Parts: sequence; structure tokens; C-alpha cells
Amino acid sequence: MATFNRLLGFLRPYKRGVVVSWILAGFAMAMSVLLPLLTGEAVETISSGAHHAHRHELAQRSHDRHTLLMYALAIIAVVLARWGFTYWRRMIAGRVSLGVEYDLRERLYSQLQRLELGFFDHQQTGQLMSRATVDLPAVRFFLGYGLVFILQFVLTIVLAGIVMIVINPWLGLISLAPAPFVVLISYRYGRRARPAIQEVQQRIAELTADAEENISGVRIVKSFAREPRQLERFRRSVGRTFEQAMVATRLEATYNPAIGFLPQLGIAAVLLLGGNAVIHAHLTLGQFTTFYLLLNMLVGPLRSLGVTLNLAQRATASGARIFQVLDREPTIADPPGAPPLPAGSGHVQLRNVTLRYSDPHDELNVGTFAQVHRRGDGPDAATQNGHTAPAAARRIVLHDLDLDVPAGRTIALVGATGSGKTSLVALISRLYDPVEGEVLLDGANVRNVGLQSLRSAVAVVSDDPFLFSASVAENIAYARPDATSEEIENAARRAQAHDFVLRLPDGYDTQIGERGLSLSGGQRQRLAIARALLANPRVLILDDATSSVDASTEQSIKLALAEAMAGRTTFVIAHRLSTIALADEIVVLDHGRIVAHGDHEQLLEESELYREIVERGLPEQVFLTRETREREVSGI
Amino acid sequence: MTPPGGMGRGGMGAGVGGRGGGRGMGPGMGRGGAQWDGSRASRESRGRNLRGLLALLKPYRLRVAGMLTALVLGTAASLAPPLLAKAAIDEGIERHDFKTLVLVVIAFLVAALLVWLMTYIQTYLVGWVGQRTLADLRVRLFTHLQSQPIGFYESRPAGVLISRITNDVEALESLVTDSVVTLFQSGLTLVGAVAVLLYLDVKLALLTFCILPLIGAGSLWFRLTSTGAFRRTRETIGSITAYLQETLSGIRVVRSFGQEPRHLARFAELNEDNCEANMVTVRLNAAYFPAVEMLSGVAIAGIVLYGGYQAISGNITAGTVVAFVATLSYLIEPIQQLSQLYTTYQSGMAALEKIFQLLDVEPELTDKPDAPALERIRGELSFEDVTFAYKPRRARKNLDKSVSAPLEAGLPALLEAEEVLALEHIDLRIPPGQTVALVGATGAGKSTMAKLVARFYDPTEGRVLVDGHDLREVSSTSLRSRMGIVPQEAFLFSGTIAENIAFGRPGAEQEQVRQAAAAVGAEEFIAELPNGYDTEVGERGAQLSAGQRQLIAFARALIADPRILILDEATSNVDLHTEARIEQGLRRLLAGRTSIVIAHRLSTIRGAGRIVVLEHGKIAEQGTHEELIAAEGRYYDLYRDWAIHAAA
Repeated sequence: MATFNRLLGFLRPYKRGVVVSWILAGFAMAMSVLLPLLTGEAVETISSGAHHAHRHELAQRSHDRHTLLMYALAIIAVVLARWGFTYWRRMIAGRVSLGVEYDLRERLYSQLQRLELGFFDHQQTGQLMSRATVDLPAVRFFLGYGLVFILQFVLTIVLAGIVMIVINPWLGLISLAPAPFVVLISYRYGRRARPAIQEVQQRIAELTADAEENISGVRIVKSFAREPRQLERFRRSVGRTFEQAMVATRLEATYNPAIGFLPQLGIAAVLLLGGNAVIHAHLTLGQFTTFYLLLNMLVGPLRSLGVTLNLAQRATASGARIFQVLDREPTIADPPGAPPLPAGSGHVQLRNVTLRYSDPHDELNVGTFAQVHRRGDGPDAATQNGHTAPAAARRIVLHDLDLDVPAGRTIALVGATGSGKTSLVALISRLYDPVEGEVLLDGANVRNVGLQSLRSAVAVVSDDPFLFSASVAENIAYARPDATSEEIENAARRAQAHDFVLRLPDGYDTQIGERGLSLSGGQRQRLAIARALLANPRVLILDDATSSVDASTEQSIKLALAEAMAGRTTFVIAHRLSTIALADEIVVLDHGRIVAHGDHEQLLEESELYREIVERGLPEQVFLTRETREREVSGI
Repeated sequence: MTPPGGMGRGGMGAGVGGRGGGRGMGPGMGRGGAQWDGSRASRESRGRNLRGLLALLKPYRLRVAGMLTALVLGTAASLAPPLLAKAAIDEGIERHDFKTLVLVVIAFLVAALLVWLMTYIQTYLVGWVGQRTLADLRVRLFTHLQSQPIGFYESRPAGVLISRITNDVEALESLVTDSVVTLFQSGLTLVGAVAVLLYLDVKLALLTFCILPLIGAGSLWFRLTSTGAFRRTRETIGSITAYLQETLSGIRVVRSFGQEPRHLARFAELNEDNCEANMVTVRLNAAYFPAVEMLSGVAIAGIVLYGGYQAISGNITAGTVVAFVATLSYLIEPIQQLSQLYTTYQSGMAALEKIFQLLDVEPELTDKPDAPALERIRGELSFEDVTFAYKPRRARKNLDKSVSAPLEAGLPALLEAEEVLALEHIDLRIPPGQTVALVGATGAGKSTMAKLVARFYDPTEGRVLVDGHDLREVSSTSLRSRMGIVPQEAFLFSGTIAENIAFGRPGAEQEQVRQAAAAVGAEEFIAELPNGYDTEVGERGAQLSAGQRQLIAFARALIADPRILILDEATSNVDLHTEARIEQGLRRLLAGRTSIVIAHRLSTIRGAGRIVVLEHGKIAEQGTHEELIAAEGRYYDLYRDWAIHAAA
């Protein structure tokens, strides 16, 4: 209920719109109920008019005609009024709904932009995406339309009920008797059908995955001549989909016709009891007609009310999941009134730094979601069953680490996967906060300065660089949107990217990323270097590519790196000797500790780990056809 | 978004009209995926496609007949209430005849029960036949795809093929279930209602029909306009989702460069776009639905006035007037529903066209009808004067014209319009048990040679022989079951690790799986996985490293115990430990088999019995490592380049 009230809070900025649209809906419904009343009265006039005519009461006849004309005009007036009310109700409610949707989405997105990086490490992207794609529509559909619908349906039913009961209490109550059952049963139907239909979708998704796998893996299937096995599996998937679709169909076949039948009982009661009452003059024919038409009118709202009530329940569940994200406070934020980073040339100090990643227990996993999306998010099950021991999970990645890097030096970080290289550099731009110790950049504790200024002083080039779906130029200018095209080109030139960019179909305007041209790893890396160069940071962090690139590309990347490092503090996470050779000092990490620190010759003598890395890292790397997977894409 | 179909409107008399109360609320997205196919089906092919669809229904014709019967009976019964109301008024009430009234009410209940029963039968049968047909079609498409040679797959983006089985079949679903029902039910209801009104009173009926053209034209206008508007809202919401997705995947970059404000601004723009697109649909809905309601109200006024005058004049009865008012919704709803058919029909037909186009593609590479199975083989491989050219895609018949050339092409030759010789006059004999390393630049023809051995393609000229049998003369299934292939990127199927290894050998026992894994050195890491051999892999399962996947692929090939092995070595670097394992596994795998290795690692090349250096589709030189180094030819150059780099 608390969630529900909070959800209603989203309507607050649109209070006027909400009230106006409710009032309009009320008027429109009143008109809708007036219509059968007027029609009934008109039929009464017609009936008595026919009797008058039968008895040749000619004077009455023109009077009856006049009355009829009045009723017809009244009906037209009523429907015109209803037209106006409904039109404006739809326009205003539509605006409110869209406004709520806009706000909700905006709040969710800005919240995601506020949260610290650590939050995302433990979230599956799918979990967060589903907040936006599944929960948000549920909430806004309810707030935008569901509430108005419910109001409208209830109003229609209540108004019609009042009219009937006023006309004839007993007949009214009897003919309305099936109404609660209709609502109840259609509510039940909505509740049962939804998971069934979702399961159909889920099985279709599995079927798609199956088909996908067989098409991507067709070489394997054919190579091992296993077509029959694959067909058998696919048949099973198809069968499962069929069965589930039939479950949904059976539900529909069971409920829908029954829901349609129940109101007919009320109508039958009116025909029989109402008809009898007219015969005995307890009821006029006009009133009888009103009853009949009103009941016909109620069939739709009764059925829909039940279904719509489900929306409220669903919106509440979805709302709870959205608030989980909205209520989460970022653990890394600008300290209030933080000064910008003081001027300097990139002196980095780490003092007794210990870093521990927070509990990876997925904080966004709540029951409702897991029930809805049972498959496709495997790790959930493990977390929910409590298999993950929190203590073990809160692993320490850096132990009491000290490092002082004077401005302008280039440091190579060397160590096995998981030794803490990436974590160490992430501390400098305060992507994470250490649990102990402090990180200083040019003498300032990174916790005490504005994030914006800190992060614009540190640039990162990762081994698998992420580029946005935008033009090449926009990607290079990412850190400085105001950069001129000369600056962009210049940066690209220095990063050895200019030549290949010119060969792309639209040069610097070529769209890249998921929805554009896909570039090779080597190309992306050089663009990332250009992006970092243009940011002109004090500290540069490079994650050397592990993927193989062809010889000439490797040469260009090496040149680009050398260019990028010149004159600034650089940390290189190195995987090959040629990159290590670029560094002034080498830091060897092992399980979160610095185990050796010095230059190449020194370390060869002192560190066994270093020796092993150097000796074994070289010989068997890719030999001849380096270019196979990394052909330059020059546009097709 | 707008309220689904029938929610806001006043109800119809009986229950038949109420399909999809729950369905409309479902997710209902994701239809009509990639609209890359702009071509309209010609009338001729459309007729053929419809016949094809009917052919799919053929096995279920009894059920179809039952469904149609239920539809007709149900619709007829649903038209009875207004007539019965008239009878109740005219024959029962006005004449003070209670007995007749009782009879009418009994008839009314019978009609309602009939509607109930018929709707039940019809809903069930439509669902059954529709879903069954779709399932059949899916299996048929799948079987058809399986019968196609590798060349077929290499010339089409996987996404397009997948969407045939999924999106297009789903687009058909609404055609075969919803549309067919709507067509019959709404059509019958409309015709029935017209007949009822004409039967009741011709003049009053004609007067009532006056509003129909207006509503019909308005509905059609609304459907056509709103289709575009809805597409626009889907597109804008798609952009928002894609942008959100991208922000989440790139969150590290966003944070690193501190660029949150610009993302917020861009998101606000997209959000605004979506809001505007939605507003268009709100306006359209506001213009349409209330206006239809209004028109039907005007019709009531007309009926009351004119019908009333007629009744007072004694030409018709009061019951007729009531029946007219009650029948009105039977006229208007079907028109609204039918107008919706057009768009579903169009997208359904487009999907049908694409599906049948695919089904029409004959497999280009088939076994001869009486091709004998290869029994035991020794594993001798020979290329006799083999020349091969990839056929330019556009020159082939029966293909989708609009498929865009795949960007990720592993086969550059495919993209060119002209025939490019991939191999020219290759002569090579590999004695049983020898390992041959193929070396050469991209496009030199290494993969092509491997593909010819597996008979993924037939040579343009010359012959490829196994133990002296021309590959074209033997059953390709039997050929491939004597052959193992390890591709460059180890592809694993979803399922457990054990299942993936056993893939190489139907009915392999657990012990055999374990032995294969142990032999290639995969056992150690498998043991460390949460469920060992039963750990799920693939998209839905555990994340394995490239090296680990490679080892599983080795085990899969090993368990098949092939005489001939084709191996495309992975180029990606893996960590030192795994690297050593892979080397070891590889040695085990190659031992004693005829092998063709597209080699990238020096150790593999050195260890091969023979190195074949390919250049532009021709064999440039061959020999052992030592021989070739001594010869100081192409291989020597490559080796020198590498050595310099490695030392850098």
C-alpha cells in the first residue's frame, strides 16, 4: 500500500489534469447513462402513441410526434455533449499519462547516472533494463490509463445501478446480481492468463535461441552430421511452445465465453420479470427498455473492470522494483561544496590503500521479478538460495598498497588476471573508494574534490574500448564535445587513426557502434586513444590489448601509445614485452599486493614471477596469419 | 500507448465479440522486426502464398470445418437477442401474453448458452489449429534450413534466417488466429445484422445504414494513419531502450570521462521524441473513438424519431424500434474490427512471402540418390587438379535480393560480384595419418581447402577424394561422421559440458566423455566448475574463457574419433597456463589422424608432417619447417618477420 501511495505521488505535478479528466470522465459517463433513459422514455411515448393512434385519438398524435422530436433532439444533445467530454478527457488524460511516463523515465535514467560504478558491477544489465522496459510501462499504463478506466467503469456501473434501482429496486438488484461475478471472474482470468501468456513468450524466446544456435553453429552440426539430433531438439522446443500456447488458449476458452454468458442472465431476468411487471403495469414499457439497454451497456465495463483491476496489482509490484533503484543512494558522490582539483601535472600517490568490492549479492533481485523471469538469469537462483557466502564474496582486491608516482612517469603494471591491476587504476579517477587508505592526485585526496574535475584529469583507454553509437568524430570528441574538427583530426592523427578513418565510407562522419559500422579491435583501440588524447588528461591509463592484431596495426598502436604517453603520468596495464619496454618503472602485482617494483633489468634479477611472465609470455604467440580476424574494415 | 481495442467502448450484446480481453494486455511487442524487405508480393505470388498457407491447414481440415461451423452458429446465435427482445415486447408484453414471454426468455437463454458453447469450441479450435500450423511451419523451415549446404549460410546474414523462423512465423500467427476469426466473425455479424434490420423494416434499415459509410471511411482513415503513428512510437521507444542499453554497457567510459550531463541531455531529447510521438496517437484516438460513439448516438436519435413516427402511424411496432437500437452495435463494431484487418493482413502476407521464398530455395549441394555410405576409411586425402570459385551471390537464383552483404565477412570473395578463383589447380596428396599445416595470408585459400574436404562446397573443377572415392559420389552424412572439425572459434551449444562433448558421438557414455576431456587436458578446469560436467554452458550458462571452450571443442572432436580432422586454429591469445594445455590437447588430438590444420601457432606448424604455403589460391611451396627455412622462400620470409616482431 505504501508503494501504491508513492506511485500516486507521480500524479501530483499533474493534479489539475487528473482532476479535470476525472470530472470530464464523470460527465461523459453520466451522458452515457442518460442515453438509455431517454431512449426508454422515447419508446414509452412510441408505445403509448401507437395505442393512441389505434384508438384514433388524432389530437394526441401530433403531440406524441412533438414529444418524440424533443427526445430525439435531447438524445443528439446528449451524444454531442458526451463527444466533447470524451474528446477532452482523452486529450487531457493522454497528456497526464505521457507526462508521468516522461518523468518516470527521466528519474530512472538520472538515478542510473548518479549511481557509482560499483553498483553496476553487480547488476546484470538485463535486470536494470527490465526496470525500464517491463516495470516502467506497467506503472505508467496504470497511472495514465488504468486509474481513469477503473474510475470510468465503476462510475458507469454505479450510475447505471442507481438508475435501475431508483426505477425498480427489486428488478434492479436481481438484474445486477451477476455483475460482481463477472468482475470477479474476469479479474481471475486476467491474473491467470498473464503468467500463461508470459510463459508462451518465454518459450518462444527459447525457441528463438534454439534456432539461433543452430544457425550460428551450423558448421558444427554439419561437420558431425548431427542434424537429426538438432531437429529433435528443435521439435521439442516447438512442442513446448505449442503446449503452452494451448494452456493459454484453454484459459481463454474457459473464461471468455463464461464471462460473456453471465450478464445474459441479468438480461433474461429483465425480459421475464420486467416484462411481467409491464404486463401488470408495475413498470412502463419505457422503463423496461431502459433496463434492457442499460444492461447491454454494462457488459463491456464489467468485463474490463476485472481485467483492469489487475493493472493496479501489477503496477504496485513494478513500482516496488522501480523504487528499489530510485531509493538507492550513490556511495560515491561529490562532497558538498567540493573544490575542483587543484592544478598540477599528475603526481599520483596511493597510501595504505585497501580495496574491497562490496557484496555482490544482487540487491535488485526481489521475488516478484524472479517469478516473472524465471529463466535467463541464472545467477539469481544461486544468490537467492543463499549459496553465495557474503564473507567470501566481499573479497579484498588490493591489500595495504603504497605507490608514489611522480608526475610524467610511465608505470607498467604487470601481473596475472585478477591480481588487481585494473582495480588499482580505477582508484585514481575515483571509480571506487578504498575501504582504507587514501588516493591523492597532485596532493589532493580524490575524495575531497569535485568528481567532474577529477575525472576530466584522468583518461582511460581500455583493452576492449567501448565506443558509442555515434559518428567517429563525436566519439573522439566524447570528453570535449566543444572540440573543433581540426582538434579532432589532430588527435586522430596522433593516435594513428586518421588514415583509416578517411577510408571509412563517410570519413569522420561515419556512424559506428552497435547500429553502425563495426570496427576491428585495433581500429577501436586507436579511436579510444584519440579520445583520450583530446581529453588531454594529466593521468593516462592504458589497458594494453590482448587480442591479436596484424603486424602493421600493432606497429601503429605502438606509435600511438608512445605519442599518448609523452609528457604525462601514464599507467600501462601491460601484457606484452614490447609495451613493458615503454615504461620507466614496472610494478608487479600478485593477489592485490605489490611484489616487485623497478626497471626491467632489476626485475629480471629480483623477481621470479616477472621472469616467468617474460619468458613464457613470448614464444608461442600467434605466428603467421594475424590478420585473419582483424582485417581493417574500410567500408562496404 | 492506447487502451487496447474494446476497453473503452460500450459492450456488444453477446459474448462472441469479446476476444482478447487478456491478450491485448500482454506484452505484444517485438513484432515486425527487421523491415528490410521492401518488395511487395505480386498478386500472383500472393495467391500462391495463400494456397501454401491453406495447404498447411489441410491435415487439420476436420478441425477447421468444426471451427467454421462453431463460428457460424455462434455468430447467428449472438444475433438472436435483439430479435428476441422485439418478440418479448411485441408478442409478450404488449399483448399481455405471459406464456409467450416465458417462451421468448427460454429461447433467449438457449441462444446465450449456444453462444457460450460455440465460443468455447471456436476459441479452442482456432487456437489449436493456428498453433499447430505454426509449429508445423517452424519445423518445416528448420528442416529446410538443415538441408541447405554451408554455402547457403555463408551468403546470408544469420539474423535474417533466424527471423524467418521466429519473427515472420509470429507475424503469421496474428494472421491465422486473430485475423481469420475477425474476418469470419465480423463479416458474418455485419451481414447478419444488415439482414436482421432489413427483415425488421426496410426503410428504417436504409436510414440506419446512412451512418455506415461515414464510420467505415473514418475507421479506415484511422487505421491507416494510426499504423504510421504507432510505428513511430515503437521506433522512439526502441531508441530509448537502445540508448539506455548503450549507456549501461558503456557506463565505465561515461564515469571515467565524467560525461553524465551530456547523456542526460541526450536522453531527455529521446524521451521528448517519444512523448511527442505518443501525443500523436493520443490525438488520433481522441479524434476517432469518441466520434464513432457520437455517430452511433445520432443513429439512435434517427431511429427513435423516424421509427417512432412509423410506429405511431402503425407501420411498425415499438419492439422493432428497440430491436433497432439494440442491433446498432452489431453494425458498428464489425466495421471497426474489419478495418483493422487490413494492416494485419499486409504484415502477415509480407511474412508469408518471405517464408515461402525461403522454402523455395532448393539445396544446391545434395547427395546422389544412390550414393553409398563410406564405411571404414584409412584417411587418405587427395586434391586432383582442384579449382574452386565462390559463386557471386547475385548471380544465383531464388535468393532474397535485399539481403545486405554481411560486414563481418570471413570470405571477402563473396562480396564481389564477379567470380573469384579461390583455388587454382591444386594437387595435393595426404597419406593416412599425416598432419598438414596450411599457412598463408587471408584469402590465400586455406579455409576453402578445408571446406572442400568436408564437402561444404563442391570443387568447380577437379576432384577431392577420400581413399580414392570422389566426395560427390558418397553420402555426405557418412563422410562427415568419419571426420572431425574444430573451428577457429569454438562454438558450444547450450546444454551441459558433457552434452557438448558427447555431441561428437551419439550415445557416448559418461566414461567416454570423461576420457575425452582428460585426454585433451580439459578435465582440470571442468572439475573446478560448480557442477562439473553437468555445468550449463552457452549463453544461458557459465562463462568459459576462449581457451576453455577450445579444449571442449577438442574433446568433442576427439570423442568422435575421426579418421580425418580439420582444425582451424584459434588466433586469440589465452593465458599462459591454458596455452600450454591447448598445445598438449592438440598433440593428443592430431596423433594418428589425417589432419588439415589451418595453423597460426609456431608449435603446431613445426610439429606438422608437412607445411603447405598457399598464396593466392595456389600452393607456393611445401615441406617441413626445416626444409622450408633452408629453402629461404615465402615461408622463410614469414618466419623472419614474426621473429623480429616477437623480439621487439
